Amino acid sequence: MKGEALLQVEGLAKRFGGVQAVADLSFDVREGEILGMIGPNGSGKTTTFNLITGFFRPDRGRTRFAGSEVTGLPPHAVCARGICRTFQVAKPFRELTVLRNVLMGALLRHPDPVEAGARATEVLRAVGLEGRAHMEAGSLTTIDQRRLEVARALATEPRLVLLDETMAGLTPTEVGEAMRLVAGLRERGLTVVVVEHVMRAVMSLSDRIVVLDQGTKIAEGSPAEMASDPRVIQAYLGAEYRRA
Amino acid sequence: MRRAAAAGLFLTLIVLPFLLPNPFYVHIVVMMAVFAVLGGAWNLIGGYAGQLSLGHAAFFGTGAYVSTLLVNATGISPWITLWLGGAAALLLSLPVGAICFRLQGPYFAIATIGLGEVLRLLVLHFREVTNGAQGLTVPFKGEAPWQLQFESKFPYYYIALAMAAAVVLVTRRMERARLGHYLVAIGQNQDAAEAIGIDSVRAKGQALALSAFVTGVAGVFYAQYTYVVHPDSVFGLGMSIQIALVAIVGGVGTVLGPILGAAIMESFVQSTQIAFAGQYPGLELIVYGGLLMAVILWQPRGVIPWLARVFRRAAARRPAARGAQT
Amino acid sequence: MDLTTIVQALISGVLMAGIYALVAIGLTLIFGVVRIVNFAQGEFVMLGMYATYWLWKLWGIDPYASLLITMPLLFCFGVLVQRFLLQPILHAPDLAQIFMTVGLSVALMNAALFSFTADFRSVKTAYAERALHAGGVTVPVTRLFAFVGALALAGLLTLFLTRTDVGKALRAVAQDREVSMLLGINPRRMYLLAVGLGTALAGAAGGLIVPFFYVFPTVGVVFGLVAFVVVILGTLGSIQGALLASLIVGVAESLGILFAGADLGLVMVFALLVAALVFKPLGLMGQA
Repeated sequence: MKGEALLQVEGLAKRFGGVQAVADLSFDVREGEILGMIGPNGSGKTTTFNLITGFFRPDRGRTRFAGSEVTGLPPHAVCARGICRTFQVAKPFRELTVLRNVLMGALLRHPDPVEAGARATEVLRAVGLEGRAHMEAGSLTTIDQRRLEVARALATEPRLVLLDETMAGLTPTEVGEAMRLVAGLRERGLTVVVVEHVMRAVMSLSDRIVVLDQGTKIAEGSPAEMASDPRVIQAYLGAEYRRA
Repeated sequence: MRRAAAAGLFLTLIVLPFLLPNPFYVHIVVMMAVFAVLGGAWNLIGGYAGQLSLGHAAFFGTGAYVSTLLVNATGISPWITLWLGGAAALLLSLPVGAICFRLQGPYFAIATIGLGEVLRLLVLHFREVTNGAQGLTVPFKGEAPWQLQFESKFPYYYIALAMAAAVVLVTRRMERARLGHYLVAIGQNQDAAEAIGIDSVRAKGQALALSAFVTGVAGVFYAQYTYVVHPDSVFGLGMSIQIALVAIVGGVGTVLGPILGAAIMESFVQSTQIAFAGQYPGLELIVYGGLLMAVILWQPRGVIPWLARVFRRAAARRPAARGAQT
Repeated sequence: MDLTTIVQALISGVLMAGIYALVAIGLTLIFGVVRIVNFAQGEFVMLGMYATYWLWKLWGIDPYASLLITMPLLFCFGVLVQRFLLQPILHAPDLAQIFMTVGLSVALMNAALFSFTADFRSVKTAYAERALHAGGVTVPVTRLFAFVGALALAGLLTLFLTRTDVGKALRAVAQDREVSMLLGINPRRMYLLAVGLGTALAGAAGGLIVPFFYVFPTVGVVFGLVAFVVVILGTLGSIQGALLASLIVGVAESLGILFAGADLGLVMVFALLVAALVFKPLGLMGQA
């Protein structure tokens, strides 16, 4: 149901040795929206993704998706439920073709490889990679690798997509292309959570923003509100001071 | 062109025993076929799933012992125990996979060595049941096709050949099915595979189960062919390494690799045995070990991928003359 | 089954644990620094045993004294193995690395078989029969010496790793290869050192047990396997873990022999491995 909470994160916490990476984190993601997740480096954004998608098990807290509990499920089960994520450092299947990469994702809902191949071709067209279908994934440019990550995730027919710094290291033109790609996801009826450092992208794409600092949510609201929120500004500036 | 070659090869294989001068040579090709089956089975988990097993003898020996024990105790036909031996090996593989495939690292290789050794020790220990170090024998029935016993080596050859052909077909089917794709994805990047819904533990487990089953069946055949099962030979580390070697030398993760590997390995074994005439114990295995190291140093992926690269380069050179005009 | 018997088993287990620790430390050192799993570690023990045997047989050198010869000898052997067999495949797929050391293991085992035959050999020293007795428990001096020797060597190694610059450099490479290069450490040399040390330790373990252990070509298989269990249980790459785990494994094996029979000691060890993989796959030292 559009507008209702699709993903509910409640009280998530995760400690690694001496570092509390995520501490009592709670937020909702509403169906159909693009939620931006920002915060200084080390604030726990990627860890949160890892916790939601099952790559780490939370020490405390719960994650609910579409009304059912997904806390602690292994990554492949989380994907089967409808949450797919991309990685901060892209992890393509390097030696395989672009098409085969996406095929792997399509096989989840279409076990017949022939059918999955057809679906994969469609997805490639949707992200603009159909011209590179038979290139080796390892030889793609950065922006195309990001496209591939998104395509592969799309092929699993998720309801929620978690994008981890998709725009890192892209040129301004490429950022614009990436933004169109992300906006296109929402048009397809997907819900998206975007972790980004490229501020203009996050601010203009997101319907709402959640700000993390030191593993916990410090603010939440519209992009305009967040841009002028003193706590948010403090977190970014403060982080630099804290490191010194 | 390819079909003609394949057909030609197939026909050659069918008439092969008739072309050979004496039964000793037929024995050699029977062993080649058996190792082609074993290598092919190993390939499913070692090549496609990238999980190196150094203990496939555990599955081989399980098949051999389960079958021979049943045949001795109940007189049941080995044609049935072929399946039972395979099933026993499959069951054995389930906990191994469940425990090891959750982990990334050399754990599977180490655990499989342990498995082989432990089974060998257990068989030696419980000698009231297994006859310990003396091993078991298959009751000799002369020419008894329903008991999988023949006087000539020819029928054994054809059975083994059929098994090898079956393994080739199964491997090809698997390659094209979802499991085959999933195994490749896992081998490329397990985290990424998991993120797109691939249950890596399950996929590897299925590959292992299939591999173990086929290996167990081969063990039953071997017991029937040689009439004897000894713990040190069927459960031994040497057997595990030989099995893995066949797939590695030929080319892991390829359909034909194990076949070529078996042919190479078996020729090697036989020629060294002839050359050294059994006088120098251990010499041929030194050569094995040396061969393994040499292959790894020269072509870590095996002979077939190397050949494939050679052919690709040769094919690429030909159109260049025509392409130069553009 | 009375208390004395159990105490005897515990003590035997602890004494043997020292030897297992030595072999395992060598293995974990090689893995920690070079990141290669050495499936021939057990065969290095076997080499040490044969070297010690022949030195005794041909020139009457006492097994403990011959450590001064066998350790440097095996160190050099390890260096050669690293230089010619492992270095070329450092970046090859895991399969290649595993099978390289497996190939080495097979070659060594059978070279021994070929050169020395399958005969079981043993070394008889003057003190071989002597034992300490206390409260119904017997401790053969040879086993005690082996334990003390193993601890001493482990202690020396720890001092080396913590107090010397070279040792620290070795640990640096184990922790982070790239950063240590930035610090001017030559990783190749560290690899040679690590493999040399790991081999020497295994060889020393072999030499220490020759007074009470038969020497034969496949004797290394068990040691290799046990070393693996110790290393996994103690966490790959952790020396402290290896020490702790070797205690557990040694005692478990000993108790296994007591309750299940002499030939099933290894089965107990394997059961420990299974337990470790199920409950604590990252080992006792956690996320090392």
